[in-house]
Amino acid sequence: MNETYYLSLLVFSPLIGILLLAFMPKEGERSIKLLGFLATLPSALLALMAYASYLGGKDLADFSEKANWIRFGNSPETGGAFFTVQYELGIDGFALMMVVLTAILSTLAAIASFHIKKEWKGYFMLFLLLEIGMLGVFTAQNLILFFVFFEMTLIPMFFLIGKWGFFEKEKAAYSFLIYNGLGSAILLIVIMVLFARTGTTNIEALKTLVNVANSELAAPMSGPLKYGLLIALIMAFGIKLPIFPLHSWMLRVHVEAPPSIVMLHSGILLKIGAFGLIRFGIGIFPDQFKEIAFWIAVLGVVNLLYGAFLAFIQKDFKMVLAYSSISHMGIVLIGLGAWNEAGVQGAMFQVVSHGLISALLFFLVGIIYERTHTSDISKLGGMAKGMPVASGFLLAAAMASLGLPGMSGFVSEFMAFLGLFKVWPWLAAVGTLGIIMTAVYLLRAVLAITYGKVDREFPGIRDLRSYEWAPVVVLTCLIVLIGVYPTVLSEPLKSVLLGLGG
Amino acid sequence: MEIAWLIPLFPLLSFLVLLLAGRRLKEASAAAGILLTLASLALSVYVLIERLSGPTFKAEAVWLTIGDLQLTAGFEVNQLNALMLVIVSLVSFLVHIYSKGYMHGDERFPVYYAYLGLFTFSMLGLVLSPNLLQTYIFWELVGLGSFLLIGFYFYKESAKHAAMKAFIMTRIGDVGLLIGMILLFWETGSFEYDEIFAAVRGGELSGTMITLTAILIFVGAVGKSGQFPLHTWLPDAMEGPTPVSALIHAATMVAAGVYLVAATFPLFAASEAAMMTVAIIGAFTAIFAASIGLVQTDIKRVLAYSTVSQLGYMMLALGSAGYVAGVFHLMTHAFFKALLFLAAGSVIHAVHTQDIEKMGGLWKKLRFTGPLFLIGTLAISGVPLFSGFFSKDEILIAAWEHGNTTLFWLAVIAAFFTAFYMFRLFFMVFMGEARSHHKAVHESPGSMVWPMAVLGILAIFAGYVNTPWFGTFLGDWLVEGNSALGHGHVEGPAWIMIVATSVSLAGILLAYLIYGKRAISRDGLITSVPLTYNVLKNKYYIDELYHYTFVYGAKAVSLFLRFIELFLVEGIMKTVAALVQTLGKTGSKIQSGQVQTYGAIAFAGLAVLMLIFALTGGYL
Amino acid sequence: MSNIPVSAFLALALILFCIGLYGALTKRNTVIVLISIELMLNAVNINLVTFSKYGPAPSINGQVFALFAIAVAAAEAAVGLAILIALYRNRKTVNIDEMNQLKH
Repeated sequence: MNETYYLSLLVFSPLIGILLLAFMPKEGERSIKLLGFLATLPSALLALMAYASYLGGKDLADFSEKANWIRFGNSPETGGAFFTVQYELGIDGFALMMVVLTAILSTLAAIASFHIKKEWKGYFMLFLLLEIGMLGVFTAQNLILFFVFFEMTLIPMFFLIGKWGFFEKEKAAYSFLIYNGLGSAILLIVIMVLFARTGTTNIEALKTLVNVANSELAAPMSGPLKYGLLIALIMAFGIKLPIFPLHSWMLRVHVEAPPSIVMLHSGILLKIGAFGLIRFGIGIFPDQFKEIAFWIAVLGVVNLLYGAFLAFIQKDFKMVLAYSSISHMGIVLIGLGAWNEAGVQGAMFQVVSHGLISALLFFLVGIIYERTHTSDISKLGGMAKGMPVASGFLLAAAMASLGLPGMSGFVSEFMAFLGLFKVWPWLAAVGTLGIIMTAVYLLRAVLAITYGKVDREFPGIRDLRSYEWAPVVVLTCLIVLIGVYPTVLSEPLKSVLLGLGG
Repeated sequence: MEIAWLIPLFPLLSFLVLLLAGRRLKEASAAAGILLTLASLALSVYVLIERLSGPTFKAEAVWLTIGDLQLTAGFEVNQLNALMLVIVSLVSFLVHIYSKGYMHGDERFPVYYAYLGLFTFSMLGLVLSPNLLQTYIFWELVGLGSFLLIGFYFYKESAKHAAMKAFIMTRIGDVGLLIGMILLFWETGSFEYDEIFAAVRGGELSGTMITLTAILIFVGAVGKSGQFPLHTWLPDAMEGPTPVSALIHAATMVAAGVYLVAATFPLFAASEAAMMTVAIIGAFTAIFAASIGLVQTDIKRVLAYSTVSQLGYMMLALGSAGYVAGVFHLMTHAFFKALLFLAAGSVIHAVHTQDIEKMGGLWKKLRFTGPLFLIGTLAISGVPLFSGFFSKDEILIAAWEHGNTTLFWLAVIAAFFTAFYMFRLFFMVFMGEARSHHKAVHESPGSMVWPMAVLGILAIFAGYVNTPWFGTFLGDWLVEGNSALGHGHVEGPAWIMIVATSVSLAGILLAYLIYGKRAISRDGLITSVPLTYNVLKNKYYIDELYHYTFVYGAKAVSLFLRFIELFLVEGIMKTVAALVQTLGKTGSKIQSGQVQTYGAIAFAGLAVLMLIFALTGGYL
Repeated sequence: MSNIPVSAFLALALILFCIGLYGALTKRNTVIVLISIELMLNAVNINLVTFSKYGPAPSINGQVFALFAIAVAAAEAAVGLAILIALYRNRKTVNIDEMNQLKH
């Protein structure tokens, strides 16, 4: 038990913002927005400092912290509490990248939230609470704590969608809550079974306890039970990811939620599904996962193609992007299903990369919507005339999304396919159809918005405002950085990959 | 040669500078672009001269680590790369200068130069790549440059469609390249050209695998080089500004497919089936595109189809083991086709139309452009002593010597077509009298004429580096130290040269009779074979075919999936929701307020639980 | 007494419990229901005493517990009857079918 509180500070620093906001008058729009933005900065700085000190050679294990939290099940034979749940935070390379991503995207989404039109106080309080939940999910070292943070993201999201969203916001919010509530319930069952059988929820401990055959468990776990738990986990996180056919909630959220929230939702929250799958699915049940890897890859290809084909015929640009998210999450599954270093690294790259790209895309959608009050492809056209810079960035984001080399999307897509081709070339060959379709639907949508003749004049339309430059430039630079010099990402991930059987 | 890596960085710098500061520089951005490409050109020439005597140079560093695998990036200067460097940077430099005059007054002048910089960077990066992965990366980036420049006039619907089509059609090819490359990687453990060739030589790959990967790589080349069946994007790409067509869609990027096949030539050479595929596709494309070129009336489209046809020629050469012939023609074609496009641009600049039916009699008004265009036309037609003559001759010899008699005769017919439609173009544009009134037709400014003049000289003399008469310097140098590439010079029967010459002269004569002297009626020809004419005019209806099969096919699949989405996915969801609701309603009916009922149910539940517990013994 | 097997006591308790349960769940008259509940409680008391005497670790605890249960049952009966009377004053019935206030 060491004395560092670095991670706790990182995770809970938005709390300061919430407390300060509570004392602000409701009407002070400018000061609330400013405070909301400032409150995200400590986490961002701490996360970047953590990354910097990692580059400086600091061991990530040094960040771990632990404190007693819940103990029960007193019995004299086991010498104290049989069931203990500790408050423990820690990070590995993958979690570090996710924390950095979350912190940066939260700050940028706070900037994007300047477009919010009403009740800023409540909005930013919920927003910061959401940030705490997301940061906590990636740093939690045991399942109970993970679950608590996981739930903590649901409730603010529910209100953020339901109150600040567009036309069918209530429906979207309910469908979000019901689907994710179901996922949580399944997750809780898995956690409880594991807890009851092993007496611990610490992830590291579980990795050994579940897989060492002769380990002394409170109750033995049979093979089928492990499979059952793994499949339940895949379902729980599959709703979040989302995996076909559990995706329909996410379409509504993408369309109805305010763009700044979709930035976080598509950038981070969906990634919790991938993160959970990698951390728990693969981490705790590697042998079982290996057995069903083929089906995961099949699901991935289905996701990829299904999303791509449906994105092709959507009329609303947000819907195109929503289906594109489904399609891109297919790549994560493809990488995991390949079950080799290239594939899994590709999946992790995709998680980070898609987080950045979709955040950028939705930020730009928000900008366009704010000015034109529509995101219908057929109603927009020739935007490159009125907003050349925003259109340029939109095109760049689309290029990144369709996997243009030199941008992060390519590296992840390439590695995932590299991995899959090694094991199931035919499946991978079918999957490459998705690469073509991605180009088709993205160009169709983006060019319809930016190119062509101006269908409808939007008088007084203006290009990027000063504060809108920051997110766009930061995100684009990060995307290009990863694309050109992927080592920034592959280096921290290496430690995670080492545990993989190959 | 250690500094060769700097060559692509100058245009990249140009791209970045113009992107950031272009709005302030306005038309001064041209100067920045021209100076930086000049630096590239100077370095390229220096590297080429050094390479003429020195050995191949290669340097690499780790780019990406995947577990134990290390993927590298770097650069390599071998004969082919050094030659390509000079071709690319020279044409790019000339186009940069030319564009100063051509694009003068355009609102997005700096953006145009920025895009040119991006493209030149990618193209130079492509030819320096020492491995397939890096090639693929730059391969896609040149596609991006091409896409951006085709869509430069973004407000035109046609430009939008052309840009999208170009990107998507080439991407179809790219996927082939990607698959081929990954398969090769898992077979040989490397993306490096050297190691792949070593594995091929060492017999590590099965014959089928070699053929498969070679053909997949060729699919990439087909997409990029506009070969049949992925050729339809290239004529549409003429929506871009004309200098761009000269640079990208004539001299450099479309030749990248040929370059790729040449760069991976040892792989192709190891598989007879792959070679045959390349040769057949090449020969077929050559004659197929040439036949469409016969009837087109848009000056740029005629040139575009001629480009497709000439690229087919190069593929035929490579597929017939004529490595030198293919690369040689790639070089000469780069010069004379760039010249033709720039001259066409000059014509368009003067008369503001692209329809040759509306031109005519421009010879006297455009005193520089006319002769320069004629030089290009003579070169591409294969008239003796011009550069195209020597390279085309090499290709025909290669095809004959390789035993592809049918393909050889196809190529000869294509040569006839080429001479015919090029001179048809020439006569219709420059000779006769003006068919439509153009006010104030004047010669283009010096910035446009000088680049054409340089290319004109090259179009005449570039062929002399490799001739049967004055020595085959280029060929010998290209294959030096690499036996897999074949011989530097292939001796062929002398009659081939005579056949080629007479065929091209016959084409010119026929064009003269129809369009120059009007001895044969044009309309009579058209009406005598209306069906053929319509088929050719409509490009064999290939665009329509693709539209009805692939575009509608994709839409049909999408609609089918939408059906699934609506009825299956949403349907299941709705069913579950309805089920839960019914369950809830039933539940609320049980809630009658009767404590006894509650008790009975609770007891029954307890009993069931105990029963389960008793039966399973406590283990689920 | 020792020749009576433990199972006899348990069987008695079981039968008593079942009668009580049946009565509690089916009788219409609330007073009878209350009596039935008393029967069930007494069945439990028999169990307690039985295990206290014949269980694996015989001790006085079970019998003490039975006394507690009897005391609590008495209190419960008193409260229950009081509620019943209050209810009767309001509704003029002791028929359990008409007592469905829990529904609302």
